Amino acid sequence: MQELLNTLTLGSIYLLFALGMALAWSTIGILNFAHGAIFVFSAFSAHFVSEYVAMPMPMLILISVLVGATLSALTQWLAFEQILKRSTNHRSAELRVLIGGIGVAAIPIAIVDRATASAPFGFANSTYKSEVYEFMGLRMTNTSLIVIIAGVGIAVALTLWLRASRQGLGLRAIGVDSETASLMGVNRTVMAIGTMAIAGGLAGLAGALQVFQLQAMGVATGDQLLIKAFAMIVLGGLGSMAGVILGAFVLAGAETLIFAVDLGTWVDAVSFGLIFIVLLVRPQGIFGRQEVRRT
Amino acid sequence: MIAWYTSNAVVVQATMTTLLLALSIQLPLRMGVFSFAGVGCFGIGGYTAAILYTKFDVGTWPAVVLGTLLAGILCYLLGLVIHRLSGLYLGMATVAFTLIVAVVATNGGSLTGGASGIFGALGGINNLHVFLLLALVIAGLAISEYGRFGRKIDSVREDPELAAALGINVSRHRKLVFLASGLIGGLAGAVTTLLRSTITPAEINFHMVVMALTVIIIGGSSSWLGALIGAVIITWLPTLLSFVAEWESIIYGFIVALAAVFLPSGVLGLAKGLIHRWRSRRRSTPPAPPSSNVEKASDDEPSSPEPEHSLASTQGGTL
Repeated sequence: MQELLNTLTLGSIYLLFALGMALAWSTIGILNFAHGAIFVFSAFSAHFVSEYVAMPMPMLILISVLVGATLSALTQWLAFEQILKRSTNHRSAELRVLIGGIGVAAIPIAIVDRATASAPFGFANSTYKSEVYEFMGLRMTNTSLIVIIAGVGIAVALTLWLRASRQGLGLRAIGVDSETASLMGVNRTVMAIGTMAIAGGLAGLAGALQVFQLQAMGVATGDQLLIKAFAMIVLGGLGSMAGVILGAFVLAGAETLIFAVDLGTWVDAVSFGLIFIVLLVRPQGIFGRQEVRRT
Repeated sequence: MIAWYTSNAVVVQATMTTLLLALSIQLPLRMGVFSFAGVGCFGIGGYTAAILYTKFDVGTWPAVVLGTLLAGILCYLLGLVIHRLSGLYLGMATVAFTLIVAVVATNGGSLTGGASGIFGALGGINNLHVFLLLALVIAGLAISEYGRFGRKIDSVREDPELAAALGINVSRHRKLVFLASGLIGGLAGAVTTLLRSTITPAEINFHMVVMALTVIIIGGSSSWLGALIGAVIITWLPTLLSFVAEWESIIYGFIVALAAVFLPSGVLGLAKGLIHRWRSRRRSTPPAPPSSNVEKASDDEPSSPEPEHSLASTQGGTL
């Protein structure tokens, strides 16, 4: 049971991180490789501010979310939008976006690495105090409760928004055919920047919550999480938000299990192996549709 | 010259090993296969050679050959499995492969030395050997860039359906490129490890993928010359400008991002474009009226030299 609870907490952080990535990838077609760097940098910004001013939890989370959203929107505007404008075909645009993202990601990571001298950072100066609840033999902190509520709540809200709202419809239309969508009055550029801002905000939220949950974060966390998020999205199927939710909890469950049987050093192989197996057995993922691309 | 070389031997060596690694990733890219498996093969080759050399008393060159072959074979098997995936999916699957290599190396117990890696595998390799091996690899790659074979590769990259319709066995080419990439990556790993005497799992990570990619993107992805330019820039920049060494990662990040936006075919593509423009302008200026028709004339120039060059400059968008 304790494992189940840990899975839920871990999975919720994974979920918040992967949701933003999946949203951007499945609608505006951008796989943002800087997502992990944004995650780390926004948590670091909150840490930086908290060094000088003692702050409550919501303020730190707000800082992290805002930094993440700004950084992500800027990346979209200054890098990805320019690449899309300048490339001729879909495939080359995809690769250049990937490479551009890798380049952009190196910058905030290098800044954090220098500022912290590669040491993990945390919110030691925050006014937030973690409390432990005991309930029927289960140990649970108030942090993990917040994490689970935020993760599941936002995932459900985002899924519903994408399904039912007008903007959600426009966004999905871009995902199917961006040219036709823009003829139907969807402003692709604005939508894309908005989507990336939401994605970055979610990364910032995930970052701040991760630091509250684990007390510290290392610089390399972002890259690992990026690959894991890719595994989750692929497992669930690109374009399906329910798939991301499933993917996040399956991966978290598998990793918790690996830790429980004391094979901790193999934990990274789970997500990599998962990517492999899914791509081989069912490339479109569990809930995904086969991609149709007309040339 | 000799004095210059002796004072810079280490950097020259780093340039050559970086170039080898970059070539192993550039080759599949030239065929439109977005594979980072070369970095994993670097690990396989390096570990195999180091283990054979330190634990089984195999000589330097047999260890290098076996490491290279094993990496090639494993990469070919990987290719058999995943060559049908496309674009990003293939890229991420190969990143996963690379990282699995690192995880296996970390968990290899006494054989791979765990997280601290293998030490003391100093083989009898010097810079001349590396240079000769590099020349051999580049010669092979240069052959694959020209003439009939070069055009075949270009068509497999640009339009696989068209290539298949022309009777080119696309899937066989894509599978074989995994073999070639694995061999070059394995060679790079084996040689680098026996030169530097150590290999650790921490080296075979995402950072190495980024580094190899940076080399290719800066130099240009269409030819080995591009990788050479990139490798020279990447390894010499920190030694020439001391402030670069301090801010290395940030500057590389900026360079890669800027190159991805403005310079998709790298320095080489830029140079080729300039040369092409200069040549066509020089030829077409005398008969043409001075102002308006110059650009037009360069477009439909009848004797456009070297078809694969003009193809390379038009497909600037590939990377």
